[in-house]
Amino acid sequence: MLLFRSEEHVKSWYQKQGVPTGAILTLEQPWELARLWYTDRMSPDWRRRTPTEAQAVFASLGLTGEFWRLTAAAG
Amino acid sequence: MESEQVIDTAVRLEVYRFFVDQGRPPIPAEVAHAVGMDQASVEESHRRLAEGHVLVLAPGTPYVWMANPLSAIPTPFPVEVGGRTWFGNCIWDALGVVAMLGGTGTVTTWCPDCEERLSVSVEDNRLSSGEGVAHFAVPAAHWWDDIGFN
Repeated sequence: MLLFRSEEHVKSWYQKQGVPTGAILTLEQPWELARLWYTDRMSPDWRRRTPTEAQAVFASLGLTGEFWRLTAAAG
Repeated sequence: MESEQVIDTAVRLEVYRFFVDQGRPPIPAEVAHAVGMDQASVEESHRRLAEGHVLVLAPGTPYVWMANPLSAIPTPFPVEVGGRTWFGNCIWDALGVVAMLGGTGTVTTWCPDCEERLSVSVEDNRLSSGEGVAHFAVPAAHWWDDIGFN
């Protein structure tokens, strides 16, 4: 999960690598994802999210569709 | 005898506490000393936490490579919070370090395409400056197939 200067730079880089691009997010989306995902990581009560819970976090940020579908817990 | 869940929680909390405090993860002996357990039990706990995708161990060892969002090795995602620096595993994790450590900090990285330096700052849990777009190469269901790559 990398940060690029712009969408054009994403396309340019992956074209040079010869592999297809994945999902491109605005800067706000990974920040909100980070905030929702990691704020409580050092809490005694933290537990790993279930796939359903993780999917709900993605959906709350507009991250839906096949790319974001979980078959097992992630993160 | 304490349950594995109680042990794993104590070990997890100590790994993160030490990592944030010292800027590197603890070795099992240091965790054992801190939580009052023997080293073998800590190593077993590390393995359970790794199987549960809570920690990532350096291959073939009981040593912590990642305690997400933190990386034990330098990466292209240094994070500055309060005058100190840690490393995230990716842009999501680097921003996660900021979130985990209070919501104010700066991530610096480099565009892989043009190698231009990019920085993203967060203040009081709001993006305050930065440019760029994030790219996720691997679909979510496969993130843990090769977490080091991802």
